[in-house]
Amino acid sequence: MYKILLAARYLVKRRITYFAILAVALCVFIVVVVMTVMTGLVGGFKQKNHSFTGDCVIGTESLVGFAYYEDFDNILEKADFVQGISPVIKNFALVTPAGTDRSYALEIMGVDPVIHSKATDFADTLYYSKDNVSEAFKPVYDTNLPGCILGIDLALERDARGRYSYEATPGRIALSVSCFPLTAKGALAKAGTGLVNTQTFYYSDNSHSGLARVDSRLIYLPFEQAQSLCGMAGPVKRVNAIHIKFKPGVKPPAGRQKAASLWRSFKQQKANEDQAYLLDTVTVQSWKEYRRAFIAAMEKEQTMMTVMFGLVGITTVFIVLVVFYMIISHKSKDIGVLKSIGVSNANIVQLFAGFAFSVGFLGSAIGTFFGWLFLSKINQIESWLFEHFHFQLWDRTIYAIGDIPNQLEFKVLAVIIVSAIAACLAGALIPTWQAVRLRPVETLQVSQL
Amino acid sequence: MLKLFFWLRYLRKKKIVFLSIAAVALSTALLIVVASLFNGFIDAFEQAAVDTIGDVVLAAPTRFAKYPLLIERLEQISAVNAATPTLSAPGLIHLGKGNVRVVEIWGIEPASRARVISYKQSLLKQKDSPGEPRFEFAGSSEKTQGFVGIGVLAEPDEATDEYDLGVAGSMIGKDVVVTTGTVAGANAGDDSAGLPPIARRVIIFTITDVVFTGVYDLDKSLVYLPIEKLQKELHPEEDSQMADRIQIKLKDDVDVETALAEIRGLWQVFAAEQLGWGPYMIAQTTIATAQQMQRQYVAELYKQMGLLLVIFGVVSFSVVVLIFCIFYMIARLKQRDVAIMKSCGAASSSVALIFVGFGCCVGIIGSGCGAALGYLITKNINAIESWIRILFGLKLWKSSVYMFSKIPSEVDWASALPIMLFAVVAATIGTLIPAIVAARTRPVEILRYE
Repeated sequence: MYKILLAARYLVKRRITYFAILAVALCVFIVVVVMTVMTGLVGGFKQKNHSFTGDCVIGTESLVGFAYYEDFDNILEKADFVQGISPVIKNFALVTPAGTDRSYALEIMGVDPVIHSKATDFADTLYYSKDNVSEAFKPVYDTNLPGCILGIDLALERDARGRYSYEATPGRIALSVSCFPLTAKGALAKAGTGLVNTQTFYYSDNSHSGLARVDSRLIYLPFEQAQSLCGMAGPVKRVNAIHIKFKPGVKPPAGRQKAASLWRSFKQQKANEDQAYLLDTVTVQSWKEYRRAFIAAMEKEQTMMTVMFGLVGITTVFIVLVVFYMIISHKSKDIGVLKSIGVSNANIVQLFAGFAFSVGFLGSAIGTFFGWLFLSKINQIESWLFEHFHFQLWDRTIYAIGDIPNQLEFKVLAVIIVSAIAACLAGALIPTWQAVRLRPVETLQVSQL
Repeated sequence: MLKLFFWLRYLRKKKIVFLSIAAVALSTALLIVVASLFNGFIDAFEQAAVDTIGDVVLAAPTRFAKYPLLIERLEQISAVNAATPTLSAPGLIHLGKGNVRVVEIWGIEPASRARVISYKQSLLKQKDSPGEPRFEFAGSSEKTQGFVGIGVLAEPDEATDEYDLGVAGSMIGKDVVVTTGTVAGANAGDDSAGLPPIARRVIIFTITDVVFTGVYDLDKSLVYLPIEKLQKELHPEEDSQMADRIQIKLKDDVDVETALAEIRGLWQVFAAEQLGWGPYMIAQTTIATAQQMQRQYVAELYKQMGLLLVIFGVVSFSVVVLIFCIFYMIARLKQRDVAIMKSCGAASSSVALIFVGFGCCVGIIGSGCGAALGYLITKNINAIESWIRILFGLKLWKSSVYMFSKIPSEVDWASALPIMLFAVVAATIGTLIPAIVAARTRPVEILRYE
């Protein structure tokens, strides 16, 4: 009981303690705000990548693609862990809007919108045909024309607040799309003739995945036409990837392992086929592995930020150290009295550890409260700053970021609070050790009194 | 003298003061490193723009003819050193089995380009050769010859982020195919949409050199062909030589705004007289320095740097609290010293100055140590990053993410000096209340026998 009493007394009576609490609160406030925003950005980015990719991708980086995918699709359809599969064509194309002399080198993705929506969240990214995905490639102005879905940044302008100005119906835009058709050996399929395949598609919808690279560089084409454009629609058809969605409850790593196992067996079955060599370059990757080049960069930045905050947080440890050193220097007589009535060293340690814990806990609580308050208003603050000073945290015409993420995550918060308390305990370590070493006979001498 | 004596004595006797010095140093170093890295990155970004497009760029809204005449006139302007044309078009390149990449094809004149930007140094094969760079370096040939960015031919190593120069170099002498597009001529008829059809052009060329600028996005996407050859493919019907951009190098020490005004004036006359363009088309032409063209992105980078410095600056406010705590402790523990000083006739202001001056010294020493630490970290940032990769397998800096293959490692003293000054001021502020506490000490209370 006396430990609690003394710790509380030091906390209330020693005003210098308030500074330690203030320093902890300040650090916790800043770290909560910055890490919540960063975690929100990274988490949102990962989620968008997951939605774009599905749970798993079986594919090859080679633009030649791989054959016999239909047989493997049949195997996957029978698997109890698979909910949806979508074979996909991926390639690069030269795209020229009709009526202009400007061309754009872009990525194309050939998909069947209905089955691709079962393997990924593709349907949710569409604007005009969100509720009727099967019509996604049918331009409303002439449903007989071959349609294409443009990444939203290719179709629409983004204003300073990051909003797009949608039209009631897609405008009639014809796009000439050219690809190098490749043979199964990777050579140019039309050597000796025009070398490229060209077809005109008409803008039928746009896709807003929230991924800047996808929305500004990708055009979705109907699967069969894309396959034909890329020279993959021969007697032995080829695709570049199969996107898979697992059934609810199947964790991506476990699902990936099962898919990999099925793929190994399939590859063995097809070992004697003519184009079996194409299967050698195929990998089975979870969505995270498939998009690691993009995700890893953001995760690294988050790690670097954490390390930098850790370095700055050392100052907090110093502050607690100094405050405790002062208190112990001034309260040596208290400690002498306590020891003289039989209080053990372990109890002295517990007393100051409890005190340090209280400082850390109070500082964290205050910092978290103000952090939460600030985060809850952060978007309004930014709007106000933009209205009055044209200041934005991120220029929305450059970055594809909507609102500033402000959802406090329990896990992040717990780590911050535990770190703050641990820093306080670390700061109290040396002064506590000094308190333990105090000898009552010395501190309670008449000359010391 | 007395103050100096006390400062040295407290510094020697009160080891805890070193904590405040360490805290000041740590915060100063962190802020200097952050500011230097950001400023270094922005400088490198702007320099890369100058190295790629020259001091000034004249970008027309559409391709225009008679560029040799324009260049001749431009080079007669006193502020202009040299000018070079560029004709650009997007394309696809087929490098071999199943290897197709998206590229930007630039039609250039290597010799005049080398006079405008430091182009030759980025050519793997020709950089050490005498004379001007040229496409026919590998020997005369009937075939079209061109250069390819290193990133088009190879990917940087996943672990080290370095290109295998051997692999890229082995592509020299090989034939590759690029395709690009143009609007077909008036005789080609209309397509079903009632618009002139798009004609695809396929160009087979021999790679005669590899371009390695160190700027990832450029190395990854550019293919260079002779401008005449590209024009012949894109505009076979056009007799005059065409370009869509003129890159200009200014003479040293010229006033940029005056030079821009002169170039704009010349362009207006040229476009109206030689091209027959109206005021609208002339106004659509961008004539700007490389820095002006990157202004929006650079402003965003500065904003992010400012935000980061504010965040770390606020966290570094703890240093003020720390110094306050330490000095408050000293002021309380050394009350007897203060009382004796005052009883000997020292004024309260003199006592306060001891603490304020001491705080200032702590700030100066701390910020000095921080600057030294910041300098060491910044200068060796690439080695540190390399060690982190070796020890933890974590590659922090990748050219594919941060554009450049090396982390900028120059200390930005223009930012470092205000940071150091701020640290000294912060340390001094931290001592104000303890100084007042010490100044208000009453000797009669402290030195009583009881």
